Amino acid sequence: MSIEQVPAAPGTKRWVCELCGWIYDPQEGDPDGGIPPGTPFEEIPDDWMCPVCGAMKADFRELGPDEDVLQG
Amino acid sequence: MIAGYDHFVTLAESLQWDEKALDLTADAAAWPRLDGSERARVLGLLAGFCIGENSVAAELGPFRDAAGDDASMRAAFQAQERDEQRHARFFDRVVTEVAGVPGADLATRLDFLRGRVGPELVELFEQRLPAVARRLAADRAGLASAVGLYHMVLEGVVLLAAQHALLDELDHLSQRLSGTYQGIELVLRDERWHIGFGSRVVQSAEAVGDEMAELLREGEKASAAWGDLIPPGAVEKAAQQHRRRLKAVNIKFW
Repeated sequence: MSIEQVPAAPGTKRWVCELCGWIYDPQEGDPDGGIPPGTPFEEIPDDWMCPVCGAMKADFRELGPDEDVLQG
Repeated sequence: MIAGYDHFVTLAESLQWDEKALDLTADAAAWPRLDGSERARVLGLLAGFCIGENSVAAELGPFRDAAGDDASMRAAFQAQERDEQRHARFFDRVVTEVAGVPGADLATRLDFLRGRVGPELVELFEQRLPAVARRLAADRAGLASAVGLYHMVLEGVVLLAAQHALLDELDHLSQRLSGTYQGIELVLRDERWHIGFGSRVVQSAEAVGDEMAELLREGEKASAAWGDLIPPGAVEKAAQQHRRRLKAVNIKFW
């Protein structure tokens, strides 16, 4: 098993699923969900679903530049 | 990546709901107007949830204890325990007030409900999985495997497949059970953060990849315990989502 829990590159906008806590990082995309690495969140189709919990795109919230939900 | 434990504690607090506030009056009136096969299918699924949620709610103690001095993880387990207890009360309320299951107390009602599901399902929830979970959660080293079993397989595959099947069943009934439907949607909403939380625990642990693969196979096999109550494709769909979930949080076991 590998564990990757890395901070975002400076200036990268990330989005958190408000229902399960999964974080969308544009650098990684969601290849299994048909979203190639490098895809900005805004360009993801509206019918895409969170890979962890199945929530809709509308259930995601943009993280603020200083907001760190990874800790704790 | 997935959020830290503090995020889940805050999230859980914001998602609280009261199972007693749901209006089941119309559901109770509609229940006798369902035909016999509809009542049998819905009651079978509800019976499974009553047995399953009571078991899950009762078995979370060892998980919380295994969190040790990690106060954030411990608080997240406590928040989940509160949710699971509410789910158990909700399903008990539905079978009592809507389906008219007899019995003056929960133990009597569960005795009745055990007769509505296959013995495999009862063994799964009340014997086999709790025993494994208690053994795994007995020390911190086994916690990730126990969470992999409970949060990601039991909740993320076995119960999730049946929750979707029950919502689909309710969608196609001849009578609306709107209060019941609303409650199950709220249960599903809670389960989303439980699965996210479980993903975080497993992601943070040391190598358990082979065990995760074995647990998935176990979950798929265990899901068959629902028998004819859920359609054949529902388990496979939930298992596919489980595999995608593991990849999305960088748990490589394939």
